[in-house]
Amino acid sequence: MNQVNQKKLLVMAVYAGEIMLKNGAETYRVEDTITRLCQSRNYPYVDAYVTPTGIFVSVDTKGQMEKEMLSSVKRIRSRNINLNKITEVNDFSRKFVEGSMSVEDGMQQLRHIDGLASYPLPLQAFMGGVASAFVALLFGANLLEFISALITSIIVTFSIKKLNEAGFTLFLNNIVGGCLAAFFAILLSYLHPSIDVDKVIIGAIMVMVPGVAMTNAVRDTIMGDLVSGLARGIEALLIAISIAFGVGFVLKAWIILIGGTLI
Amino acid sequence: MINIILHFLYAFVCTIGFAIIFNTPRASLLKAGFTGAIGWTVYRLTSHYSPSIVFSSFLGAFFVALSGEIFAIVDKKPMTVYVIPGIVPLVPGYSLYYTMLSILENDNVTALERGSEAFMVAISIAAALTIILSLNAYRKRRLARGKTA
Repeated sequence: MNQVNQKKLLVMAVYAGEIMLKNGAETYRVEDTITRLCQSRNYPYVDAYVTPTGIFVSVDTKGQMEKEMLSSVKRIRSRNINLNKITEVNDFSRKFVEGSMSVEDGMQQLRHIDGLASYPLPLQAFMGGVASAFVALLFGANLLEFISALITSIIVTFSIKKLNEAGFTLFLNNIVGGCLAAFFAILLSYLHPSIDVDKVIIGAIMVMVPGVAMTNAVRDTIMGDLVSGLARGIEALLIAISIAFGVGFVLKAWIILIGGTLI
Repeated sequence: MINIILHFLYAFVCTIGFAIIFNTPRASLLKAGFTGAIGWTVYRLTSHYSPSIVFSSFLGAFFVALSGEIFAIVDKKPMTVYVIPGIVPLVPGYSLYYTMLSILENDNVTALERGSEAFMVAISIAAALTIILSLNAYRKRRLARGKTA
C-alpha cells in the first residue's frame, strides 16, 4: 500500500476522534479508533493520548528525515451523549480500515456524520417524561405520581435541552432543571394528598443524574486512564452538586414558607 | 411473579425513553430496552433475596453488560449503545436524592451513609462493566492471534 498524505490523514483521524469524544464515547475507544485509522495507511508509529477535554496525537514514519513527525492537539469544550454519532463513526472507521477509501472521501463522510440530526426535541422531551415516569413506577409510585412525574419531567427535559442548545454551561442547566423538577413536583402535590413529592422529584431528576459520567469515571480509573477518570469524576460531581443545589434551593424555600421537615 | 413481569415491562419502556434522550440509533432501540429490562429484573430478583443493594446492582449491571456485549458482537455496534441506556435504571439516583435531603436537614451522618451507598453502587456497576469489557478484549486478542497464525 502506498502512503497517503500524512497531514490529511492525521487531520481526518483527529476529526473522527473529536466527533466521538464530543458525543460521549469512552476514552479507550477514541484512542483505539485514532490509532487504527492512522495505522491502516501504513504509518507504523502512532500514539494517541485522549482525555475528556482534549486529544493529542503523533504520527511518524520510519525514516530519518526531518519534518516527518506530525502532532496534533484538539481541545474539546463541550460534551453530551449522542450514541448515534458514535455508532456511525465506529462503522466508518471499520470501513475505512478494511477498504481503500480515500482520505478526502473519509473527511466528507465524517462531516456528514457530524451534521446528523438527533431525534426531534418534542419527541425527546416526551420520551424523557415517559422514562422518568416509569422510573417513578419502579420505585413504587401510584398512578397520580406517575402522571405528575410525566408532566414534570417533560418540562424539565425540554428546558435543559433548550438551555443546552442556547449554549449555557452544564452547571446552570442542571440548577435550572433541579429547580423546575422540585417546583412542579411541589405544585402537583397540592392537587391530591396521595402524591409524594420525593417520588416525583426522583423520577424527574433521573434524566439529569450523572449516572453515566459516574460509571465512566470509575471505569476509566479501573482501566488505568487515571486522568480521564478524574476529569469525568469531577464532571459527575459537578452535575450532582448542581442538581442538588437546584432541588435543594426550592425545597428549602418551600419548607421555610410552610414549616415542617423534609424527611 | 406478576410483579416481576410488570417490572420487566416498566424497565423496558423506561430504558427506551432514556435511549431516545441519548440518541440511540433507531435499529437498536428495542435491544437497548431489552438490555435495561434484563438488568433491572436481575436487580429486583436478587434484591429480594439479599439485603445488599451494592451486590444486586453489581449483578444487574453484569447482566446489562453481558447482554449489551452480545448485542454489540451480533450487530457490530459499539457496546456503549446498549449499555449507557441500560444502566440508567440501576444508577443510584435514589441514594443521591436522599443524600441531598439529609444535607439540607443538617443530618450529616445519614448524608454520609446515603452518599457512600451511592458511591459503592457506582463502583459496583463500573466493576461489572469492566469485567465484561476485559473478557471481550481478551476474546478479540485471541481471535486476532488466530487470524495471523
